[in-house]
Amino acid sequence: MTPTVIAVAGPSGSGKTTWISQAIKEHDYNCIYLCPGCGEMPVDLARIGYCYPRVQVLSESQIPLLSALPQDTVIFLEIAFHIDLSLPFLSNLSCHRVAVLPADGGHSQWQTWADQLIPGNRFTEAAYAVTNPTNLWGTALKGQVFDSASLDELLKEITEGAYGNVQRLKGIFEIPDGRAFYIDFVQGREEIEYEELPIPRWLEGRPDRPSGIEVVGWQLNQAEITQTLLDSCLSEAAIEHYQQQYRTLTLDQEVTTA
Amino acid sequence: MKLAVISCIHANLAALEAVLSDIDRQRAEQIYCLGDLVGYGPYPNEVVERIRSLNIPTCQGCWDEDIVEGLNACECSYPSQLAEKRGRLAHEWTNQVLHPEVRDYLAQLPMTQRWGNLCFVHGSPNSQHEYLLPSMDGFAALERVLSTDADILFCGHTHVPYVRNLENVALTVTVRQPGQANTQQQFTTPLKRIVNAGSVGEPRHGRPNATYVLYDTDTTQVILREVPYDYQKTCEAIIDRGLPAVFAWRLARGMEFAERADDPSHVCQR
Repeated sequence: MTPTVIAVAGPSGSGKTTWISQAIKEHDYNCIYLCPGCGEMPVDLARIGYCYPRVQVLSESQIPLLSALPQDTVIFLEIAFHIDLSLPFLSNLSCHRVAVLPADGGHSQWQTWADQLIPGNRFTEAAYAVTNPTNLWGTALKGQVFDSASLDELLKEITEGAYGNVQRLKGIFEIPDGRAFYIDFVQGREEIEYEELPIPRWLEGRPDRPSGIEVVGWQLNQAEITQTLLDSCLSEAAIEHYQQQYRTLTLDQEVTTA
Repeated sequence: MKLAVISCIHANLAALEAVLSDIDRQRAEQIYCLGDLVGYGPYPNEVVERIRSLNIPTCQGCWDEDIVEGLNACECSYPSQLAEKRGRLAHEWTNQVLHPEVRDYLAQLPMTQRWGNLCFVHGSPNSQHEYLLPSMDGFAALERVLSTDADILFCGHTHVPYVRNLENVALTVTVRQPGQANTQQQFTTPLKRIVNAGSVGEPRHGRPNATYVLYDTDTTQVILREVPYDYQKTCEAIIDRGLPAVFAWRLARGMEFAERADDPSHVCQR
């Protein structure tokens, strides 16, 4: 007996992580989640870790540990859109292959590869026509706290094309009141989605937990995106100023409810 | 008599020329300018020279004031840290390229202009920096008009044109004095209006077109004008002259170079 491996693939923004999250929620087995090809700190890895503390998330360098896992473990392997499915690692892997694909998306490499097809997010015709974007850019933002109004503005600029054509943006951002949000945008959807992460408020200095951003698109001006992100991050003094106020507010609320 | 009221040109020469041509076609006999000749855009000296050459009565805008006196912003000037960084960058750039005689001209501009029962200001009669938003409390809006002793208050600053009629207003004032009984007085005011001229060079209505207003002193009719122009010319100049490329991107979408405050109850502390 070996652990069950479920490999999930599909185009960017089709809903692979959403499908995996649903599967994790519906069952109580021991789970491992990993996302090969996405670097050491992909946003999805952090999000799954925050939302499902019972799931063990593994970074790419921890892949060799898979062979030593208990037999009753289920491993979810999210394969990013840009990973070649004919790689020996994937073609030799004994697993159940799931492709999450947009409805009416036409024939694709994922259909040939998969054992099971799952209907995913609908793309607009224009968005589906360009499911092979050329740029995948991301950066870790651990320790950074964003001015909330600036964050809204920069997300609007990035997703509406101020720094290149964006097909997908996802990120985890810390804000001054100590909360962290998962933010998700797929071209063709009407708006950017915000989801507060179920983690404790961080009100003591720079947050020592993972956050980051990933952008998928074409002709991305990475230097300008980076500068805009930096211009929107609060200074040490500003973070301390806000946190002091929120700590006082939290204390006041605790006194009132006691 | 037909008046044209223009505001918030923000160093956008192509937009100003298009509006001046439109004013000519509409046969307006007099132009008033509500300030913000400079700031964000690539042609501050040229815009000021054009306004001066036409002898247009002009109020001092918040950017005109800041470039003379230095930045001393209230929180409503910059609703986000990003807007503040961009605003400061644009201020520094303008400060560097501005000719001394242009600076002198901006320094001597008055805060208000008058013409009969009309008053012209940039932001509000209180401050070049105060926003008279269309959703502002009715009493506060009326107070701003009454303080000028005019029937129509023309303003800019918000970059979105509007007309607000304050009609059939009945005010009750209670006077309390120590040792005396309260006294009440009632007032009614005739129709008062606030007319916002929008923005020539930095629109915020979702399209790049310039806006201004026409006012007919005989019929009291107000017409909001929206004028298309070659905004790409300004976008190219923004980049060529070393201003942030995102300014060009925002201008092309009618998004304003940096977002502004939108709290109608905020009282500017500048």
